[in-house]
Amino acid sequence: MSGTVLRVGHLVVEFSGGGAFSLNREIVRAVRDVSFHIGQGEAYGLVGESGSGKTTSGRCVLGLQKPTSGSITLGADDVGELARHDPQALHQRIQAVFQNPISSLNPAMTVDRILAEPLRRLAGVKDSAAARTRSAELLDAVRLPSDVLDRRPTELSGGMAQRVSIARALASSPTLIMLDEAVSALDVATQAQVINLLADLRDETGVSYLFIAHDLAVVRHLCDRIGVMSQGELVEEGNSADICHRPTHEYTQRLLAAVPVPDPNVKRVRQDLRTR
Amino acid sequence: MRSILHRLVARPAGFIPLFWLAIVGFCALLPALVMTHDPNAADFGAILEGPSGEHWFGTDDFGRDTFSRVVDAARPAAMAGLQAVSISLVLGLPIGLFVGYAGGWWDRIVMRIVDAIFSLPGLILAFAIVAILGPGLTNAMYSVGFLFALRIIRLVRGMVLSVREEPFIEAARLSGAPTATVLSRYLLPNMMGPLIVQVTISFAAVLLIEAALSFLGLGVQQPDATWGSMLREARSLQRDNPWIAWPPGLAITFTVLAFNTLGDAYRDVLTEGPGGRAKAAKRGASLGLAQGTTAVSDADPADPNALLSVRNLTVTVPTSAGPAPAVRQLSFDMRPAEVVGLVGESGSGKTVSALAVAGLLPRGVTIDPSSQIHFDGEQLVGKTEADMSNVRGTGIGMIFQDPTASLNPALTVGYQLAEPLRIHHGLSKKDAIDRAVELLDRVGVNNPRQRLKDFPHQFSGGMAQRVMIAMALASEPSLIIADEPTTALDVTTQRQVLELLVELCEDLGMAMLFITHDLGVVAEVCDRAVVMYAGQAVETGDVYDLFAAPDHPYSRALLASVPLLDGDEERLVTIPGRVPGPGEQIAGCRFGARCELVHEACTTTLVELITLPRDGRSSRCLLAGASTESNP
Repeated sequence: MSGTVLRVGHLVVEFSGGGAFSLNREIVRAVRDVSFHIGQGEAYGLVGESGSGKTTSGRCVLGLQKPTSGSITLGADDVGELARHDPQALHQRIQAVFQNPISSLNPAMTVDRILAEPLRRLAGVKDSAAARTRSAELLDAVRLPSDVLDRRPTELSGGMAQRVSIARALASSPTLIMLDEAVSALDVATQAQVINLLADLRDETGVSYLFIAHDLAVVRHLCDRIGVMSQGELVEEGNSADICHRPTHEYTQRLLAAVPVPDPNVKRVRQDLRTR
Repeated sequence: MRSILHRLVARPAGFIPLFWLAIVGFCALLPALVMTHDPNAADFGAILEGPSGEHWFGTDDFGRDTFSRVVDAARPAAMAGLQAVSISLVLGLPIGLFVGYAGGWWDRIVMRIVDAIFSLPGLILAFAIVAILGPGLTNAMYSVGFLFALRIIRLVRGMVLSVREEPFIEAARLSGAPTATVLSRYLLPNMMGPLIVQVTISFAAVLLIEAALSFLGLGVQQPDATWGSMLREARSLQRDNPWIAWPPGLAITFTVLAFNTLGDAYRDVLTEGPGGRAKAAKRGASLGLAQGTTAVSDADPADPNALLSVRNLTVTVPTSAGPAPAVRQLSFDMRPAEVVGLVGESGSGKTVSALAVAGLLPRGVTIDPSSQIHFDGEQLVGKTEADMSNVRGTGIGMIFQDPTASLNPALTVGYQLAEPLRIHHGLSKKDAIDRAVELLDRVGVNNPRQRLKDFPHQFSGGMAQRVMIAMALASEPSLIIADEPTTALDVTTQRQVLELLVELCEDLGMAMLFITHDLGVVAEVCDRAVVMYAGQAVETGDVYDLFAAPDHPYSRALLASVPLLDGDEERLVTIPGRVPGPGEQIAGCRFGARCELVHEACTTTLVELITLPRDGRSSRCLLAGASTESNP
């Protein structure tokens, strides 16, 4: 792990509630003074329930959301600056994979064209034959056969579509990929395949991950370190094993207790209800 | 696009209007080939004649041939439609795209102006524009085109707003696509369907307006014929020749009808997906068939103590290669107050099975008439839609994955809860509201009387799911079918909702059929589980037994692929390959291709569910029983 890829310092995001014409605008503090960093080749997990501010933090990192205050630096550059002056350079370096596999892909395009877009605009592959060759390589990297190139998103299964999204994110050879609940819509067997794939890709390319999810069991499998967010704050941070086995914050403990365990002898909603 | 056209032509509602419009189009392009006379040539020797061999549709007061005039009028009609519709698109499309995408003040200002113009009656506005520009078809069509542009702006803006937040648009921006590309290549192609429907309907409306304007003398000037002006002339000749109004009148009616029907058919084709019409026809047939069937299958007799007894349930879904079974000969029982999990990956047939029990299968998905679903001793297969609605209203409650999508966003939660109570249970308005308050309170919604006035969007995901549960409880069901009720929720909320469901089942003595892909959830809440794979049950049993010693290789693999909090292994176990589709014919075991224990016999023998010595367990594996011993 040489060097820091991303550094987030004292990030604050506030939204003003109410409509444009309403008199009493409420200020919602979605992210409150969040700081963390991600090393090269590291997978950092950001967990918390919906509304905890983890997705908003991720959007700031991508330059899609302007922070109220705080700093986000990618290598030596400020993300806000890059987003304003050279968004292409920013998105060459940071890419994203979202939750819903099918709706993350333009239904009107074939996979071939979906992959050509970042290749042409971000990776400088202008020639269409070269783009097709590179697209096939990308599909191969995510363990998909090259005949997928000519299909449309609606003809893909959830797992395949998510692999295409990952291939698209890899197209510009980024240093960081943000994965926002990227496996939560997949069922167990597919989820396991995608988690293993992400681990392999990290080993092969040295890319870093910002992995945003609500399921600690999934995060533990992929991430080296985990930050736990609750109500906009980072309440606990540590390496994965510590967070999962020796949580110190009360909220982390609650989050861990909520993870379903596939063994009826260990823990059961039913028994918990009776012993209450 | 090609296949959409094929499907459109394949249905009468698509073919007939297209055929008619083709005739009208031909007349507009090459009227000379169709006309029998010069449409404007007067023949005072033959005025106001009825239909004859010489004048098919008769003649008017100048002796002009009505048939030829009707044919000749197709051109101004088509011109009017094309002018107005293209003006509306040229104006409406870019403005709609822009304000929808830019949002903010642009959106507010433009939409307020559109609303203001919209509040004026359209025809009056058209008159005003004609009054300024002067009469004549083209002027009239400018005004109509302007009016329709407002509709297009509204439609396009609405679609942009709904698509704008889709992740693929976000992804396009991340891929470096400039705004113009996002608009033209990402947004526009995904709005073509509704846009085409709007355009066909606009054509119909334009024709009517053109006819109305010409009828009032504001459109095409004499002597040229339009259907509207012919009607106007016919009005004054009504007494002498009542027949004369019919040809132009029918031409307008048929053409307008054709556009509207075509728009509807196109919308149906879009919403139904492949094989739409075949599905619909098939459904009718199977409903008819099912009602007469009383055949009892050879499988185990239904459990007399069962609340729900499913035997040989086979459900056929349409695929691109024709109808195929998504559920194959599924049998299971549920006792009163029992919680049974239906587990499997997507494509295993678990949701289709649950919907079949609830009688909520989508159009085109059919239950094989030999299937049996006995609920409370009553055979549900073959029941009419109305009877099933009654069963759902009194005995079976249903909870879906996405609570906000299952609630009507335009109605208060109170209305949606109280209305069925008034309809199904005959409660007075006040009693229904009291009961709704009681139900919301029961599912743990704080301050229920107040919250009844709230709309669904004012509830969080977890709270909205509680509302759905309250709605399911309203009918005091003895069976709740929960289809992935917590998949869209985060872990802490999931936990709370699961606790609520289990508590309700225990307190109210309800049984629950719980559909999920999450084995963790099954272990937490279920008494028994049915593991499904590619449409079949592959293993059933008590959860303690099943999780301790899964017998079927698929159950074992599935269990091993669950990420654990305290596991130490870095890599998760995965199952190679993929679930076969409903239509795939596989000799032998359907899991064979992905199984690590596969051997010769697996690929040739039809594998049945084998009952295991331990109670209530069965496994669809040739190694059933043996494999558990070797792999404890």
